[in-house]
Amino acid sequence: MTAKPPKAEERKKRDSSFSLFFQSKNLYKIAGLLVIFVFFLLPVLRLVWLSFVDDGSLTMQYYTEVLKEPATWKTVKNTIIVVLGSTTLALVLGILFSWIVAYVQLNGKRAMQLFIFLPFVIPSYITTLAWTQFFSASGPVTAMLSWLPGEPQAPNLYSIGGIILLLGISHYPLVYLFTVNVFRKIPRELEEAAATSGLSKKRAFWKIVLPLALPGIASGGLIAFLSNLDNFGIPAFLGTPANIRVLSTYIYEQVVGFGPSAFSRAAVLSVILGVIALLGTVLQWFLLRRSRVNETNRSDSTPRIYLSAGKQKFLEVALWIFLFVTSLMPLITMGALSLISAYGVPFKLENLSLRNYEYVFLTDSKPLSALSNSLQLALLTMFVCLVIGTAVAYLRFKYSDWSTKIAELFMTIPYALPGTVFALCMIFMWLEPIPGWNPGIYGTVWILFIAYVTRFLVLQVRGSYTAFLQIDPSMEEAARTSGAAGWVKWRRILLPLLFPGIISGALLVFLMALTELTVSSLLWSSGSETVGVVIFGYEQAGYSTYSTAFSTVLVLGILFGGGLFMLLGKLWDRKVLKTK
Amino acid sequence: MKKIFFGSASFCIATLLAACGGEGGGSYSSTSKEGEGVSGTLDFYTSQPDADAQGLVDAFKKQNPDVEISIFRSGTEEVVSKIQAENQGGNIQADVLLVADSVTFENFKAEELLLSYESPEAASIDDAFVDPDGTYAGTKIMATGIIVNTNEVTDLPDSWSSLTDGATKGQAVMPSPLYSGAAAYNLGVITRQDDFGWEFYEALNANDIMITQGNGAVLESVATGEKNYGMIVDFLAARAKNDGSPVELIYPKEGVPVITEPVGILANTENEEASKAFVDFILSEEGQKLASEQGYTPIREGVEAPKGLKTLDEMTILNAEAMELLETRNDDKAKFGKIFGE
Repeated sequence: MTAKPPKAEERKKRDSSFSLFFQSKNLYKIAGLLVIFVFFLLPVLRLVWLSFVDDGSLTMQYYTEVLKEPATWKTVKNTIIVVLGSTTLALVLGILFSWIVAYVQLNGKRAMQLFIFLPFVIPSYITTLAWTQFFSASGPVTAMLSWLPGEPQAPNLYSIGGIILLLGISHYPLVYLFTVNVFRKIPRELEEAAATSGLSKKRAFWKIVLPLALPGIASGGLIAFLSNLDNFGIPAFLGTPANIRVLSTYIYEQVVGFGPSAFSRAAVLSVILGVIALLGTVLQWFLLRRSRVNETNRSDSTPRIYLSAGKQKFLEVALWIFLFVTSLMPLITMGALSLISAYGVPFKLENLSLRNYEYVFLTDSKPLSALSNSLQLALLTMFVCLVIGTAVAYLRFKYSDWSTKIAELFMTIPYALPGTVFALCMIFMWLEPIPGWNPGIYGTVWILFIAYVTRFLVLQVRGSYTAFLQIDPSMEEAARTSGAAGWVKWRRILLPLLFPGIISGALLVFLMALTELTVSSLLWSSGSETVGVVIFGYEQAGYSTYSTAFSTVLVLGILFGGGLFMLLGKLWDRKVLKTK
Repeated sequence: MKKIFFGSASFCIATLLAACGGEGGGSYSSTSKEGEGVSGTLDFYTSQPDADAQGLVDAFKKQNPDVEISIFRSGTEEVVSKIQAENQGGNIQADVLLVADSVTFENFKAEELLLSYESPEAASIDDAFVDPDGTYAGTKIMATGIIVNTNEVTDLPDSWSSLTDGATKGQAVMPSPLYSGAAAYNLGVITRQDDFGWEFYEALNANDIMITQGNGAVLESVATGEKNYGMIVDFLAARAKNDGSPVELIYPKEGVPVITEPVGILANTENEEASKAFVDFILSEEGQKLASEQGYTPIREGVEAPKGLKTLDEMTILNAEAMELLETRNDDKAKFGKIFGE
């Protein structure tokens, strides 16, 4: 805090030297905000507009109607409980795992990291299927519980608790991803200083480590929060049998309802959802307000805590059991289902074949072209988000004023809305951006591209912003005084420091775009089918065995890619950074 | 998709948009009427499984090679939402629509989005399944019956009352009318029968029936033995049985509600000729034989149903007036939500 006033003064001085820039700065600001407004908020406002008009005249009728219904408030209450519960679970698991991976000496960390990602990558209908079987009357949990005295019952997954559990497990990798690099960058010296000043390890964790890791935790927590808020698959699958609705499923029910008021009612509910998302974002700003960095460290992946051999083994086993249940079990369930010829036949050798794979990859031509489409879309989306998102994050970091904050808010909304609603917004907007003018974007692959970029950009912004927060402002100044300016400053000093954080964001954007389902299912067109569209199609036609075969290959492909990436990372560490 | 990489050279979104604008303009070439064949482009929106929709389009294109058909396939609910959104956006892209049930079409008809066209082929279809104003006609018969797991159930039921029987408490499953259009149709029809009414759904609730999103989930649930009985659309159950799943399909003696996957033409179609030819083909004997080969009960008289399914005249059909169902659908759904509320 103390460093703030001189920094602001310094900035002013610098600004005046670029007098031309200074004069037009507000112009740039407004132009930038306008572009962001058109791409991110206007599509949503077109939907919101529907909630205010009835037969061409302004009305608050839909608001009074929807807000008066007890069902609305019950849904809002469910949503808040579910989102708070699952975000807390995701935070606890995410922080725990990232701290252990960053700090403690363990074997097989890289493999562990790969499996931490899995619950996030495996489609949620597979996750829920695996878990409901795991907890079912004939599943392993019931069998294990029957050994225990007192006949305890397996918990019922079709409940608020079940939804919280699965959402938390599916989204803790987000917290992990944003936090692990931050933990690695916490200066060792600070902790050593704390130890010499007599602070216990526990107190040091609360007083020093956690506050320093706050930028990562807040970003990861925010993304997990938004992901929990917009998730449709898990609450729809687990909530429908128990008649539990959350906003995302309730909005879907309204959208598919008939009558001209269907969209208007959905719009009202989307506004409520948007308000919750914004509250989360603002809360996160308050958390970050007090965090600051005094020293810049390169990410340091050598462990800081060495356990005795026995304790280390114990911890490794415990972690792997957790990863086995949360990551491998759904994957194995999926793989097993993909091998059987039909649902319900016993899992015996004579019923197993690669027939489903044969159909998906040899007979049907769609999955392969979908895979190629999704890969290209995901790569392009990732690349564009990487550039724009990092630029936005830089501005947000350098000039943390109202304009960049508003820009961030605008970008948050498309990610927080349920996919179906966001896809509708895209149709409203891009079919005829100006009445009477159809630019021909809708109905081509470009609408998917625009939708992906607008939906996932916030992930990159958060990833890059977290990385920037790890850099002491003095670094940039030091670079300038030593004569490194412009591109050189970036290439030699900033980028290497920022690299891990930025890559985390880009990886997230890539994976999200690759497996995206709900937005694509409304926006694809002939020739631009995506992986999500094909999986959704198989599911709806009752061919779950095909969709599991396709998903299995997809997840194995991601695992393979991830493994390759980590191997390269290891080589990079050895050859280039010469660590170890 | 090569376009993507082509475009990726420049990141300026504005350039991107301009490039797309140029491309999109050419794709809607107007119909040229040369000779007798139809030509041009068609946008076909459907909820049929992908392979079936593709098969239908391929068969049509064999006769009309000059027509380019783009398929958009998704769940009925998504297709309907997409058309409604396109309508809000000012320009419906679809030319021909083929989705779950007549109530959906009544809805579009009431909004005056459908073209009136009396296909000559519709003469061979029962009047009950063809809109007298010609805005839509049924294309197949999809009954909802009972599916049972044959590993668990040896005494096969023959009545809907098996789902409300105390002996099956907690063992049955059904799709939610809040998500599935077919289930919403069934809800409307069944509650309007004297023998059933809302008491039937109250009894289902009292018997702890599980509600899933769609018919696919019902199949999974019963085939894997998680539940033993289910309400399900017939072709899914028949196909699963043919694939070897331990299930049996039963048409209850009281009768079955049927949806007909009607087809209709959008009023603002840009290619009326080709749209009409496509509808004619779907309703023709050849088109109906194709439907039967794909595993559905055809709607046209004189075309046989595939193995495991009953033909139209072997079923007792529970019916209700489509217009009335449309008017009450939202209320029906709300009432359903209340009965099955916590």
